[in-house]
Amino acid sequence: MTRYGMLINTKKCVGCFACRLACQMRNHLEPEETFIKFHTLEQGEYPSVYAEVVPTQCMHCVDAPCQSVCPTKATYTTDSGVVLVDESRCIGCKYCMAACPYGARVQIEATGVIEKCRFCWDGEDVGNPPSCVGTCISGARTFGDLDDPGSDISREIVSLNARPIAGNLTDSKIFYVR
Amino acid sequence: MTESMSRRTFVKGAGATAALAATGAVAAPVGSLMTERAHAAEAAPDVRTAPSLCNGCSSKCGLTATTVGGKLWTVEGLKGHPYSKGTVCGRAHGLAQMAYSDERVTQPLRRKDDGTFEPISWDDAFAEIGERVQSIIAKNGPESVALIHDPRPSGKYYGPRFMNALGSANVYTHGAACNSSKESGIVHTTGASNFSVDFANAKMVVFIGRSYGDAIRPSSVKSLADAADAAKRIVVVDPRLSNSGVFATDWVPIKPGTDLALLMGIAHVLIAEDLYDRTFVEEHTVGFEEFAQNIASCTPKWAEGVCEVPADTITELARALAKAAPAAAIEPSWRAAFGCSYANSFDTARGVTAVNALLGSWGQKGGALITSSPKPGSLDAQKFPSVPKPAKKRVGDAAFPLVPSGMGSNLAALQAALDGDMKAFFFYNSNAAQGYAQPKVWREGLDKAELVVTIDVQMSETAVLSDYVLPECTYLERMELPDFIGGKKHYVGMRTPALERVHPETRSCDEIFTGLARACGVGEYFDFTLEELASAQLESVGVTLEEVCEKGVVELADPHFTYGVPKFKTPSGKFEFKSDKAAEAGRSAVIGFAPRLVEAKEGELYLIGGKQGIHSHTMTMNIPALNAVSRDYDLERLWMAASDAAARGIADGDLVEVASSEHAGKVRVHVTQRVKPGVLFLPTHYGITSPYQTHARGLGINHMDFVPFRMEPGVGSAMSQEVAVTVKKVEA
Amino acid sequence: MVWGPLIAWYLFLAGASAGAFLTAAFVEKKYPDSVKMRVAGRLIAPIFLGIGLIMLMIDAEAGLHNPLRFFFLVMNPGSVMTLGVYFICVFMPVALAEAVLELMHRRVPSWLTWVGIVFAFAVAAYTGFLLGVVQTFPLWNNAILPILFVVSALSAGLAATSMVGLLVDRTRFEHMWLVKKTHVILSAIELVVLFTMLVIVSSGSLEGAASVASLVTGQYAPAFWGGLVLLGLVAPFMIEGYPVFITKKVETSMTSLVVSVIGEAGVLVGGFLLRLLVIMAALPVAFL
Repeated sequence: MTRYGMLINTKKCVGCFACRLACQMRNHLEPEETFIKFHTLEQGEYPSVYAEVVPTQCMHCVDAPCQSVCPTKATYTTDSGVVLVDESRCIGCKYCMAACPYGARVQIEATGVIEKCRFCWDGEDVGNPPSCVGTCISGARTFGDLDDPGSDISREIVSLNARPIAGNLTDSKIFYVR
Repeated sequence: MTESMSRRTFVKGAGATAALAATGAVAAPVGSLMTERAHAAEAAPDVRTAPSLCNGCSSKCGLTATTVGGKLWTVEGLKGHPYSKGTVCGRAHGLAQMAYSDERVTQPLRRKDDGTFEPISWDDAFAEIGERVQSIIAKNGPESVALIHDPRPSGKYYGPRFMNALGSANVYTHGAACNSSKESGIVHTTGASNFSVDFANAKMVVFIGRSYGDAIRPSSVKSLADAADAAKRIVVVDPRLSNSGVFATDWVPIKPGTDLALLMGIAHVLIAEDLYDRTFVEEHTVGFEEFAQNIASCTPKWAEGVCEVPADTITELARALAKAAPAAAIEPSWRAAFGCSYANSFDTARGVTAVNALLGSWGQKGGALITSSPKPGSLDAQKFPSVPKPAKKRVGDAAFPLVPSGMGSNLAALQAALDGDMKAFFFYNSNAAQGYAQPKVWREGLDKAELVVTIDVQMSETAVLSDYVLPECTYLERMELPDFIGGKKHYVGMRTPALERVHPETRSCDEIFTGLARACGVGEYFDFTLEELASAQLESVGVTLEEVCEKGVVELADPHFTYGVPKFKTPSGKFEFKSDKAAEAGRSAVIGFAPRLVEAKEGELYLIGGKQGIHSHTMTMNIPALNAVSRDYDLERLWMAASDAAARGIADGDLVEVASSEHAGKVRVHVTQRVKPGVLFLPTHYGITSPYQTHARGLGINHMDFVPFRMEPGVGSAMSQEVAVTVKKVEA
Repeated sequence: MVWGPLIAWYLFLAGASAGAFLTAAFVEKKYPDSVKMRVAGRLIAPIFLGIGLIMLMIDAEAGLHNPLRFFFLVMNPGSVMTLGVYFICVFMPVALAEAVLELMHRRVPSWLTWVGIVFAFAVAAYTGFLLGVVQTFPLWNNAILPILFVVSALSAGLAATSMVGLLVDRTRFEHMWLVKKTHVILSAIELVVLFTMLVIVSSGSLEGAASVASLVTGQYAPAFWGGLVLLGLVAPFMIEGYPVFITKKVETSMTSLVVSVIGEAGVLVGGFLLRLLVIMAALPVAFL
């Protein structure tokens, strides 16, 4: 079975926002609408400082909280583990926005629908690769099949000891190297 | 200037997008309904792709633009392009949308007496400009006319050709406010205008001020990321921990403008401890003895006193570099700390090359490489007649003999305007008045000029000061001349029109300069089309126009790069620790320490500037998608060390007033541990004042407002960081 | 914040609707002569809920543009919102039916009222559970919030109904000691429950503590202390409690009428502010 996931290596992320901008174009988002958010962190004191940019987006959780609260079943999960929104069912109640622990849900101004990262789903399958991965200038993002032990992402998760951003919150399919 | 085309209208307008989803050709947009997808499959989507070269910065990365129904959908990096290597940065995605900006210049404009603009026809614009240029030349000679541009492939050819045809040698790039000093320094030691680090094989690399992660070229970021992956030693010398810090093994905070002391300290250790490459120095350099003597007193202890980097760190860096040599180098940098920043920037650039010489890394595997660039061969002289060389030398070249020949000092041209000698200015793809020196000085200079013409896609601050604004189409709407790319391998790339012109009254660079030339009576040098010239240039290197238009980038004949000491194209044919030309220009003949000009007084802080990954100078500020990023993340804020902030009772997000001898402005503060105490970092994109850029206007302050108008001796660059300021909290 | 005033209005009006319905049932049982107050409660119930649902639909923009999508609301029984829709689907017709029967001067069958009572409690509780199950926000995600919302709903419903009683049938109203006592006791309970919740939330997590701090000492402090605690809880408690428990005499003065109206209005303002502040002050659990 294919089960899609992504790895984000913050040790390679320079916080250039290319992923956000590529995603906005690909998904026809307005400038203020974005599926990817950035968290800039600073640890330590001058001159021993570690700075880190952590991009976050929909984590495509197993048993996603946004899906379980969605009253209209507009949010659903594909067989390949991608959490999607059926816009023809969404009433824009924002319950999913409240339930998402990662603040990954975004209201689309024109339609009122609450959307989110869809791994660039095109109606049949995920983007190959999703635009954020395709444009990443430093190779900080890897996308692929988590169920294929030979895939780049599966191997990198092991070799780089990548983990969900907050393992206690949800069973996420985005893995972070920090 | 009102036509707007948001991507939202695109979504609504293109029923085809739903169909695309069904065919799987491209992703369905958010906003299209699943139910629509089922029955929209029969409508054939008009999906097209066209290659181009990004205009987001001077890297000109290869990309593919995809359109749906003639409207831009995405841009993606071109895999075969040596700079993009298949990916593009945020600016590329943002700038591509410029075509649909609601604040473009859409027709030629003429300034009225009250400062507002009125639309005029191209014919009138050309006729009036032609007449005025001819009258100015008749009265003051062609040396009173200047072109200032930030050249792109077509502009590089057409702009200077137009000037030279008028009889003027006054062609200037933005260089004096960019990388002039750095290039000049490298030229006057190695004979080459630049060099690169052989990252793939280097063991240790030292960056001075430059941040690949902030002033982005994707291939550079990738090579740095790969180096970090390979656990190489990457040292970042910078008053600020930049976004490249993630790749660095060492952050060496330094007092701004004193990088030269660090370099001389390292050189001192290399020589004193006999760690330098004797063979290279003896066989391939001149002036070493004087250099060694010059820096005999530049001990690490002394350097610490100047640059505030601990002596032990300096000694350790020198020893580590020597151990890694020749697979080690100081990276050449770009604008950053010594492109145009300080009174000693020329010396600092020479200092960088000097350390690389002591390491023997010139031309070595993993070291500092001087590579070649391709050029078009000779063309049919009937069709493309050569333009006679102007009689008089470029204004400023005499005062600044070290200025790179390909750049000139645009500030010298500004000075000539202030002096009343430069009468006419053409600006192309250049917002000089906002970024090249203090805006108020530019305003004064351009006020004195009799004619100012700006060619741009939007109303920049420079355009606002112009008598005529000629609207260019955006880069995705035009074809340009081939772009020849050097390095270990040679390539040629091209812009092809990916979009129909959104505004029919906009024109491409070649069309505009050809029109200007004809109006000024020198049309005989422009009797060919862009396609004809592009074809001829490409054929001269064995490639067809069709091939480049199809692929976007084509690899040229292998230049057969080999490792080994390069040919130094200096007067002596060797690496020059000592340069007669530098001495003639009033700079030190022998490389050695020189101080920065401005020292912070009690209570003052050094103001440094730098780029952010989503912006290209001021050009991208008004693009809503990029501007939104700045606003979402408060990127316009002034970085201040936590200790400096605490001492002034300033908290993160507070509004402060920044004041120099020249200017005072208010901005919010980003309190951070990532900057050296005593130093402020201000991103250099903000403070847009053009009333025609409503998305950008009012966000942040402009770095150059604070910097006194001065020029680096010999080189004529802006000394853009020779400034100290006071900061105080604005009480609410 | 995810939600704003529209949803606060909805939660408040739905709760007050349930409270008004229950008040009417209570009045019918204990004070069969107080027709005007009973009718008031029975009218307020569907009107408030109706207005609340309109607020909800205005907030749900995508549904507003495509109203047929609201039918999908029944699709996910695992969602508290869907459960709420089920409850409302029963409660709203019952409340409407009772209102219509009252207007037609027909007797309301008691079985209908009993169904209504059950679902009124369900609706009041649902408005609390809607927020209570959201794990992202500690201020919401605790066992006490639904209780607080139920108490507040009863109080608000009672206040809305009482206000009508006060204004149109004062003599009778002033003799309804049981109603008045309940009202005072509800205010006291709500005050205790509110502070219990804040203490528990504050000690449970950093974000919870920060949320509580923003209410108690931060940006929402003026609305919290002045609007919710003082105007919404303490003032009504004093205003109602004084005649009920201390002087034990029937008030007839104009002053007392004004004061009482202020007290009832205070409960309503407090009820709305409670929901608004709970929505606005909630901070998400940090995941970084």
